[in-house]
Amino acid sequence: MEGMKNKKRTAAKRRSEMSYHFMVFPGLFFLILFSYIPMVGVIMAFQDFVPAKGLFKSEFVGLKHFIYMFQLPDIGKIIRNTMVIALGKMIFGMILAIAFAILLNEIRIKFMKKTVQTIVYLPHFLSWVVLASVVTNLFGLDGSVNQFFTSIGLDKINFLGSSKVFPGLIIGTDVWKEFGYSSVIYLAAITSIDPGLHEAATMDGASWWKRVWNVTIPGMLPIILLMTAMNLTSILSAGFDQIYNLYSPIVYETGDVLDTYVYRIGLVGRQYSFGAAVGLCRSIVGMALLLSANALTKKLTDQKIF
Amino acid sequence: MRKSFLTKLTGITVAVSLLLAATACSSQDASSNAGSEGSASSGADNGVSSEAGSEGSIIKVSMGRQTLQNVTFPDGDTYEDNAYIRMAENKLNIDITDEFEANGDDYDRQVSLALSAGDIPDMMKVNTLDEVQELYENDLIADLTGVYEEYASDYLKSVYDSYEGRAMENVTFDGMMMALPGTNTDSGPSIVWIRSDWMEQLGLNIDEDQDGCITIEDVEAIAKEFMDKNPENAENVVGIALAPWLTSGDPDGTFSMNSIAYALGAFPKTWMEKDGNVVYGSTSEEMKQALAVASGWFQEGILDPQVGTRTWDDITALLANGQCGITFGTWHIPDWLLNNVYALNSNAKFEAYALADANGKVNCKHNNATAGYIVVSKDFDHPEIAIQIANLFYDELVNSKELLEEYPEVASYVADGVDGSSRPFNIEVNSYTSLLDDYSDLERCLNGEITVEEVRTSEQRSNATSISAYLEGNEDATGWSKYHSRSKGVELIQTLTEKNQFSWLTPIFPQTTPTMETNLANLEKLEEETFIKIVTGDIDVESGFEQFVTDWNKQGGEQIISEIAEQLQ
Repeated sequence: MEGMKNKKRTAAKRRSEMSYHFMVFPGLFFLILFSYIPMVGVIMAFQDFVPAKGLFKSEFVGLKHFIYMFQLPDIGKIIRNTMVIALGKMIFGMILAIAFAILLNEIRIKFMKKTVQTIVYLPHFLSWVVLASVVTNLFGLDGSVNQFFTSIGLDKINFLGSSKVFPGLIIGTDVWKEFGYSSVIYLAAITSIDPGLHEAATMDGASWWKRVWNVTIPGMLPIILLMTAMNLTSILSAGFDQIYNLYSPIVYETGDVLDTYVYRIGLVGRQYSFGAAVGLCRSIVGMALLLSANALTKKLTDQKIF
Repeated sequence: MRKSFLTKLTGITVAVSLLLAATACSSQDASSNAGSEGSASSGADNGVSSEAGSEGSIIKVSMGRQTLQNVTFPDGDTYEDNAYIRMAENKLNIDITDEFEANGDDYDRQVSLALSAGDIPDMMKVNTLDEVQELYENDLIADLTGVYEEYASDYLKSVYDSYEGRAMENVTFDGMMMALPGTNTDSGPSIVWIRSDWMEQLGLNIDEDQDGCITIEDVEAIAKEFMDKNPENAENVVGIALAPWLTSGDPDGTFSMNSIAYALGAFPKTWMEKDGNVVYGSTSEEMKQALAVASGWFQEGILDPQVGTRTWDDITALLANGQCGITFGTWHIPDWLLNNVYALNSNAKFEAYALADANGKVNCKHNNATAGYIVVSKDFDHPEIAIQIANLFYDELVNSKELLEEYPEVASYVADGVDGSSRPFNIEVNSYTSLLDDYSDLERCLNGEITVEEVRTSEQRSNATSISAYLEGNEDATGWSKYHSRSKGVELIQTLTEKNQFSWLTPIFPQTTPTMETNLANLEKLEEETFIKIVTGDIDVESGFEQFVTDWNKQGGEQIISEIAEQLQ
């Protein structure tokens, strides 16, 4: 009797959930169509791909393109540049976004809070093609920033034409563009923290700093870990459109990253297989980092991302 | 409990989607392959339309066309629909649509994409022989040998023949003519264009012997004067501005430092023979001296302090705003670049000079006989239309006065100097000696030796008319442009040729070798990066250049040289 009832409930439950499954279906369909099927293209990395011969008739060359990639004289420098810029963006971007979320959460006037939030995340929606000209006008040798420097008696800095400053400019402008948008998720994490904890802490005489440090941050930790692990997967992509629109041969030394390099050598030179090989390598590195980050968080905090 | 499950689920979804984003590079390549199957269907479309064509109705022709920025069309006209296109459509009973249009380098990217998708328009322009070869190897383009023999006019054939076979040889693969080549006459040197109205205003005098040749020191002195006196009271004056790539493989490279290099005996980005060996011009000792000159200018502040980050458009703006009064470029830049200066300041005038070497000779190199190629898709049923378009534009339009009477709007295009890129094929087909031949007509007409009607080509007739009008005080922009490009630019080349002042180099034009395919892009990167750093003083001229030569040889340069040497045997 008991069992029967149970079974009946499951069937009913399943039926009522059918509609949800249907809702997932279109998304899943597109995911398979545009993300899983194209993965077959990975074969290209092991071939000398000729478009007319197609994916299955091009000649197999094994690891030729991978070996070539690691023999390129500049590859070490380029991977280094990529990681410096990607890590810089990740670290500074997260710190700023978290700090901003915590501060924004303190604003009690709802109107103010919404306005500030909107203003700050708007740049996220602008394309780098547009923003690049803004950056060039601000930081060029005759730009506003340098005019300000001259007016207070400092030397001009050639932001866009100096290998030393360029990565900083790239990281800085990217953080400025994205921190508002990425703070949204941290803000959500903060609001989900039980207010009771804050009340209890206040009762015990904890200062604002103490509460941030001992209540807010620990409450956000799972999300912070999740985001870190996610961001780690893109460690080998430092943002093509931003750098492509701002760099020049004069800053290749520190500004040429994997994406831009592969673009120049691979696509413009029509070396498809080489491009695919680099893409595959990058995915493998990203996946390895994601898995190890997951294992590490499990070990350290006993929480798993997936 | 329920909540944590949900968090996990979102985690997984986000994780998976991010991973997929990471593989996006490879998936893009795969999707391009999917396109090659699509080409079959577009071929079928053509079949249908051409069947209709044989019944006397209109044949559809899709094209890939390279355009130019800032081309001014009469109201309402576009690249796809202008007087030239309308004439071709009307004459040949076709309907031209542009499958893609793009400027400069962007166009090459479009071609790359079409090529990788295996889906090309019925006709398109490609810029390099390597692309023609790739199209041929991928079996995407039609053999034009038969239709050329049958349809090309005698005049068109005679034009190609003036290159003594060198033009057709380039596009012949396994005995088949796979493209209609654009011809490439010698373009002459990269001319030094100097604001002559400023020189007059400041009372400066160079080239006292009037032979059109000046020295590097003259350029330096003029640049200094222009910066000191700032004749137009512009903000942030710049002595000389150069494009980020500094040197060009074309002898006449605009905004390049080619003329400085050539005057010192260096031929950057040029494969050449020297003492029986193949050498690469950018690695020569003379190139180092040229870089030393530019680097010296940078230190003195004569060279733009922003060189390297200053783009092509930025430099054009410097000239137009009167911030800079000296530039380097080919003879026809007054038509499409310096006209921007005139547009903002109708007092602007330029004088053209050539940079001479220590012996008073102007060094220059010959061009390859062809540049720009029209290919026809294998799936297109009427390849003869490509030849007919060529006949129409490179024979009839040039030689027939009746055609212009029949199409007055085309006549006004020619008269107003609407850019040639608006024709269906953005290539030039001119006989080897055409530049100076044409100019001699124009010169005689302007001198009053012959009348406008006696000038042989319609383009020169319209040039003669607008230049005469300009000389009589008409302030029309076309007159200003044509006067500067012909009576200054070509006149300089003519004078130098007459007086035997040129010293010509015939470079090697190698086929792309296997090592070039894999290493050349990287070597070019090395070259550009090193040169700009030497010029801006980031690295020392002597040691930096020596290191560059060593690296260049080690990273494949030596290998390429031996491969080219093998080709020559």
